[in-house]
Amino acid sequence: MARWALISGLRGDLEAYEAIQEDLRHTRRVDTLFVLGDVIGPARNCDALLSRLQQPRRGELRPQCLYGWWEDQLLAERGYRGGRRADALRLSQGETAVDALLQAVDPGHMGWLAELQFGFIELDCALLHGSSATVEDSLGPDSSPLLLLDRLTRMEVNRLFTARSGQQFSIELTGGGIESQVRDLEGQRHQQQSVPKRQVIGIGAGVHYTIYDPGTDRFDFLAAGSRSQERARGFA
Amino acid sequence: MAHAVISCLHANHAALEAVLADIDQQGIDTITCLGDLVGYGPQPNEVVELIRQRAIPTCQGCWDEDIIEGLNACDCSYPSQLAERRGHLAHQWTADQLSEENKDFLANLPMSLRRDRLLFVHGSPNSQHEYLLPNMDAFAALERVETAEADTLFCGHTHHPYVRELRDGSIRVRVQEGVASGGPSEEREINLPVRRIINAGSVGEPRHGNTNATYVIHDEQTGTVEIREVAYDVERTCRAIVESGLPAIFAWRLRHGFEYAERADDASHVCER
Amino acid sequence: MSQTLLISGPPGCGKTSWILKRVQAHRGPCGYLRLAGYPDEGLAQAPDGGIDLAYLQDQCPRLLDLADLDQALAPRPEHLLALIELPQFQPPTESGLGGVDRRVIPQLEALHLKPDEHLHFGRDTALPRQDTLDFSSLQAWERNLAGSVWDPASLSSFWFELVNGAYGDVYRAKALMNLPDGRAFFCNWMVSQEGSQFLPLQALAPPDGRPERLSRLVVQGKGLDPAAIEVTLADCLLSQALPHSFPSA
Repeated sequence: MARWALISGLRGDLEAYEAIQEDLRHTRRVDTLFVLGDVIGPARNCDALLSRLQQPRRGELRPQCLYGWWEDQLLAERGYRGGRRADALRLSQGETAVDALLQAVDPGHMGWLAELQFGFIELDCALLHGSSATVEDSLGPDSSPLLLLDRLTRMEVNRLFTARSGQQFSIELTGGGIESQVRDLEGQRHQQQSVPKRQVIGIGAGVHYTIYDPGTDRFDFLAAGSRSQERARGFA
Repeated sequence: MAHAVISCLHANHAALEAVLADIDQQGIDTITCLGDLVGYGPQPNEVVELIRQRAIPTCQGCWDEDIIEGLNACDCSYPSQLAERRGHLAHQWTADQLSEENKDFLANLPMSLRRDRLLFVHGSPNSQHEYLLPNMDAFAALERVETAEADTLFCGHTHHPYVRELRDGSIRVRVQEGVASGGPSEEREINLPVRRIINAGSVGEPRHGNTNATYVIHDEQTGTVEIREVAYDVERTCRAIVESGLPAIFAWRLRHGFEYAERADDASHVCER
Repeated sequence: MSQTLLISGPPGCGKTSWILKRVQAHRGPCGYLRLAGYPDEGLAQAPDGGIDLAYLQDQCPRLLDLADLDQALAPRPEHLLALIELPQFQPPTESGLGGVDRRVIPQLEALHLKPDEHLHFGRDTALPRQDTLDFSSLQAWERNLAGSVWDPASLSSFWFELVNGAYGDVYRAKALMNLPDGRAFFCNWMVSQEGSQFLPLQALAPPDGRPERLSRLVVQGKGLDPAAIEVTLADCLLSQALPHSFPSA
């Protein structure tokens, strides 16, 4: 079965994207490229990267993109989210950051950005920027396991790939359970529930990306330009 | 101290009067209301005014919000086109009937109320539209209470009164940071706290198989919860439905203990609006 | 050898279901005719509007329509089993062929049909025993639904309300209903029997279209409220402009 490459957090960095595409050209059996949001950011002009994602070069994997937190803020500020504006950005980084974000993206790209989806479900995996709750949900190695389990349960998937924290990590739920007792007008019921075997995987950001093999359930955390390391582990 | 929690009044004045009389009779003077004062039923102004007159602390339900904000509920919160059309009709009728003063009261209701470690919401701490059904995933249910930093969560919205205790929970995890499959990992186990969800049922639109109004009494000292069923003059409300010009089918459904519009099949669905 | 059977009985006693079984069990050709029946004192016969024939032909595509004059005049195939259905509230006064309602004979003769045997539900032991109701007065109401498509979840709510008495005291409800995915269902309910039948037809219409095939609702009962039924129907049928499947969540 073919493997997936999962990337996020490029924030307008075309060089990082090209470095990853270059890596993937030399990596065997990767046929799908998922971009889990944050292709834009306020720090640099994002137009070149946005054009490239929409018009891939020959030999490049065609990216399947989601919107991330930064796209959501821009879409809100440009009036694509009903009455909501980029309030979260304004609150955390001030008006200057909002202005910088508006400057970083040519309005001609808004139509493409507005079409991006919140998440993909592939096999028994959910691919999301934040989590099944919201795009801003930042899951990391220190997140509460109860919260992680809830986010997995909401999508009814076994694996959740997330990007918001920017970290590369894996948290496997390996055991445990809970007792539940319900009383209503019909009487009392007892229920014992076990923790299902599920996993949350942080895919990284920028040049840090993840290769996942759904056939073997193996994943690798990589950094663009580190192909030699991967070959050493016998993947290429 | 014992206190009473009521929810989902749905403009049913006879039912509210009967429930308040039942609470008074037991000498309970702390009452909390979990919203949905209006919607479908024939006496929205009378019900809002009775709650205001009794100064009952109330949080906002999804109907209270929608009446103020305009139809906020997405299509997916209705299980069928028929339920949606009837819901829209009831919405329009209620919006036309409610006085400006009463609309103002509904608009200013808080989303939640908190007393120490007791939290009161309409649907769930996440949303007025989320259903916490008695059989929902136990971990997800516990997450709602825990994330909201409460010991006991009071909710309504499902119209099905229940008490759920979640205990003896634990989760074991294996964590790997920055290393691939097969790399070094750390094992952790966390023990989950004991938490309770108490659903107050519905005063004005029952969904438990008969026509009685339901509510709950909680004793904070002993921790006991009593689910109360109160019979009321259903025919009085049915007559008011027909006289007010609301569809007669609403009266038929109420008289037979069926909710006005069926609930959505996927009750855990939360709209991504 | 060919055989012509006349089957009579009150509404909902199981005439069509029994006929379907006979047709499915018969190796040779089969034909079917549904007579309208005659109103009894205070008892209106529900116009069937072709629901039974459409359902039977869907289940048995080679079933001959004996009401078709061309077929009546054509030579009959060998070993034809001809089944004639007659709604009839009261049991016949005489046994056997002598009990056939005289009023149907000219119509049968015009179609070149002569029953060899007459069976009546509740009288003849060859037929299954049914809880045949004593109908004292009965109203009938029907609605042509050709070209209409139902929101499936709304259909289920409407049917629940209909058979539970929201629109009057319903004794019998029968319908052919179109769904947006191109399927059609034969819906059947009788007060004396538990639960409703919802049987999918074999034939599919193209999805997202407005199927012109037979679609009809027939209701029998007391104190029916057709105006209230119409209001609910209007809320259940998908709009002309935009046939779509309603989101199920």
